[in-house]
Amino acid sequence: MSTGMKNLARTLDSLDFLKLDRRTFMKAVGALGATAFLGTYKTEIVSALEFAETKIIWLHGAECTGCSESILNGGNPDIIQAINKLNVNLAYHETLLAQQGLFVDDEPVNTSELNSELLVDELIEEGNYILVVEGAIANGPDGSGRYCVIGNRTFKELFEKAAKNANAILAVGTCATYGGITCADSAIADVTDYRGVAFTKEDSSKGMLTELGIHKPVINIPGCPAHPDWILLTVGAVILGKIKVPDDLDTVLDQYGRPIVFFPTDHTVHENCPRRGYYDRGEFDEQIGGEKCLWKLGCKAPYSHADCAIRRWNGSVSMCTQAGSPCIACVEPGFPDSSRPFYVEAEDKGVLLGANIDTLSKAAVGAATVVAGVHAVRRMKGE
Amino acid sequence: MVNVTVDPLTRIEGHLRLSTEVDANGVITDSQSSCLMFRGFERILQNQDPRDAALLVQRICGVCPTSHSLTAANALDDLFGVADTIPKDALVARNINQALNFLASHATHIYILWGPDLANPAYRDVLTPLGETGTAVWKEMVGRFAPISYKIDGESVPVGSSYLAAIPEKKRLQEAIAVIGGKMPHQVTSYPGGYTYKPNVADIGKLSSYYLQVMDFVSSYTLRVPFDTWIENTYKASSPQKAVNFVVEHLTDLVDKSVTSNDFSREAGWGDTEFYAAFGSELVGETLLGLPASLKHDKIGGYSDPSKIAFLAYGGFFNPENGDGYDPSSPAGERFLTSGIVTGSLEYQNLDTSKITESVAHAFYEDTADLHPSKGETNPFTDPDAIRFDQGSDSRYSWNKAPRYDGIPCEVGPLARMLAAKEPLVTGLALAFNENGYSAANVYTRMMARIQETAIIANELLKWVTEDYDPNGRIAVDTDLSMAKDSTGMGLWEAPRGALGHWVSTDSNSKVVNYQPVVPSTWNLSPRDSAGVPGPLEQSLIGAKINAAENSLGVNYTNPVNILHIGRSYDPCVSCAVHTIDLTGKNTPRTLRIV
Repeated sequence: MSTGMKNLARTLDSLDFLKLDRRTFMKAVGALGATAFLGTYKTEIVSALEFAETKIIWLHGAECTGCSESILNGGNPDIIQAINKLNVNLAYHETLLAQQGLFVDDEPVNTSELNSELLVDELIEEGNYILVVEGAIANGPDGSGRYCVIGNRTFKELFEKAAKNANAILAVGTCATYGGITCADSAIADVTDYRGVAFTKEDSSKGMLTELGIHKPVINIPGCPAHPDWILLTVGAVILGKIKVPDDLDTVLDQYGRPIVFFPTDHTVHENCPRRGYYDRGEFDEQIGGEKCLWKLGCKAPYSHADCAIRRWNGSVSMCTQAGSPCIACVEPGFPDSSRPFYVEAEDKGVLLGANIDTLSKAAVGAATVVAGVHAVRRMKGE
Repeated sequence: MVNVTVDPLTRIEGHLRLSTEVDANGVITDSQSSCLMFRGFERILQNQDPRDAALLVQRICGVCPTSHSLTAANALDDLFGVADTIPKDALVARNINQALNFLASHATHIYILWGPDLANPAYRDVLTPLGETGTAVWKEMVGRFAPISYKIDGESVPVGSSYLAAIPEKKRLQEAIAVIGGKMPHQVTSYPGGYTYKPNVADIGKLSSYYLQVMDFVSSYTLRVPFDTWIENTYKASSPQKAVNFVVEHLTDLVDKSVTSNDFSREAGWGDTEFYAAFGSELVGETLLGLPASLKHDKIGGYSDPSKIAFLAYGGFFNPENGDGYDPSSPAGERFLTSGIVTGSLEYQNLDTSKITESVAHAFYEDTADLHPSKGETNPFTDPDAIRFDQGSDSRYSWNKAPRYDGIPCEVGPLARMLAAKEPLVTGLALAFNENGYSAANVYTRMMARIQETAIIANELLKWVTEDYDPNGRIAVDTDLSMAKDSTGMGLWEAPRGALGHWVSTDSNSKVVNYQPVVPSTWNLSPRDSAGVPGPLEQSLIGAKINAAENSLGVNYTNPVNILHIGRSYDPCVSCAVHTIDLTGKNTPRTLRIV
């Protein structure tokens, strides 16, 4: 680690995670990566044994497993490091566990060492776990939840049971947080009636927890997929007590339940975009394969509240706009409808986050969105 | 008769239920494969800009998003009328992206999803009574393949060495994709006309470096014989017989060295491939090598009636030698991995996509005739009580439709591709099994095909990166939305799990009328069709003994390890199978399609 990095680490040591001002935090975590960041707390992590084991139950609803794939890509820390350093017991995760559901003549058989259905019920019974949800929750048809059935029960039933006993809930990915792709506008969206955990699109009254009458603290980590650092750092912060659940949530989360440090209200992907220089000079690509600003190819980075441009993806090697593809604002509650059509300039589209830009200025969506949007539009008009 | 059901079959993508009827001898007499989830995001492309397709459809699957987005890009190339002009370097960039995704996906399947079943305590019970050799083999299996958080009889089992080492490699491969694809999962560079990013010299350097690191893993864990030696003597062998002979001779040498010491470690030359190649098969391990025991995976997962099964490949990876442009219909021999149909009796035929139909007779949709996917129509059940998965083979029991080629269920995936391409080793194994009274397709050949395909693609990837790709070349041709007016497009491609096709059509405003993917797991996991013929996975369950090593310890309904092996050998992806992004263009509000 360079001297500069060491200084940063020392600075971090004396500060409280997720309560840093954004600039310091971004600079530090962006530069260090999460392993070093967690490493700065090593005086606290003298031994994993000092932490009581934190149990995680990770449930999959209607999803593509992209967020599980993503967490396996976690570089800093990687998942095994996180599990070891933080004494995490990833007790149930459908894609990783040894077990599977086993039934003989409809009765569950064997033990929880081989039968995942017995395992999940035992774990829920024991309580004292963090529930992670990946994927949306089917409410249809007619509130039955039968569009998603796992092990002889609807996912809605399993989610309800697991949510009731959870200490806290982490919704991971845009499907679990806001419904995502399963809730995209279509003629049949009302029939399938998929829901996010605490929100459906921007509406918290339509979250599945509200539907079920369950009141639990929820942290939303959107993204399609969610960035592994966002997930692992948040889990780390909760385990280390850097976020106290539920006391701190009002101050560390935004109105859509997202940790502000990763999804800053006053910062968009646009601000640190690697192509930003071209934007400032008014140089735009109008066909793919170039290196200039992607605004005219429909880039939604000015509306996307995430630190992708600083953190970047997969070991910080790249990100969407760096690779010549417009940002599609996949962390926003209205995704994908609020970003479509992807390759058409937003000002032509008229609708963002469910409102046009004029309406936006009156709505409480966050001043930065409007400023960035207006700024972009002015730039486009040559003002 | 006893009903033995696995639900959910975990360590796959999505939610799958395998229900079987098992007789008193522990033999499966009937089976149903049920996909349990219906997302229903049909119509999300309808009346929309077709260019959104490549980014949207890859949300069908986070494990093989590259495949979906590239298939979409192929379909859009055709839709925009530019397929014959796509620059060679864009095609090579697509190849590199897809090849890396294959390696990551196959490695994930082999080590993270499939491998842990080799640490099932059933094998301890079968192997350890066989003395020192059996005990040593069991130690290798649990020592290499045990998953995280694993316990046997209340004792925590350390994570397997191969499992643990594979996780960073998978991550490294995803990182490599991000270098040229922006991020992973859901890379972003597929687009009609070419590729959004022009990889530069530094990127090529990075990819080469990643490649070398991954190959270090391969030589330390996967394959202990030098990689080039393996490729030279199997993939490039002059006949299937010679390829098989090379492997058998190589394994014979290993057995000779290890049989007295009972040392089957990697240090003794037993890479994971050598280990499985020898101990996975009764024919290879016991009959040819004279080993005292094997897992007998060649006895399970096969097909009893060759007239009711075929192997289908659409063809994948462009041949850089062909220069700019490609033919969207993927004629025989044009792609690096060719298109084609291989019959149940192993005869090759050219692909004719007009012979594809789909049946909904056993799926939760209102009845229609068997139709070509481009004409299909599906009305899903909306009565909750009608959605039942436990009513037997005569009922409707899945959200998956039943695609058929000329009326025949088809297996797709590495085995189908290797057979269509006449790859010497896999072809040789298939023929050897056939001649000795085994099914040519079985769990062992399916896994060996996946391993061999990984090696072949790794070998070709290096050529694409270092020889074929020109960082000074062109990466895209210009397109304009008006070029997609009143048009149709077909994208034929290969995903890690098998043949993947997308079909798209547009109206006079260049808006999407119809968009439909037909995906690999829809073929492999299909339920019965209107003639009552079971799908490939269902057929391969019927006749299998449920317990380890041919029920050698008697029948135990509560640990049906062979059902797990057979199910997972297809690398099922249920989100793909029941993605329902298909757009019929028929506007009845509750009309959905599942393909």
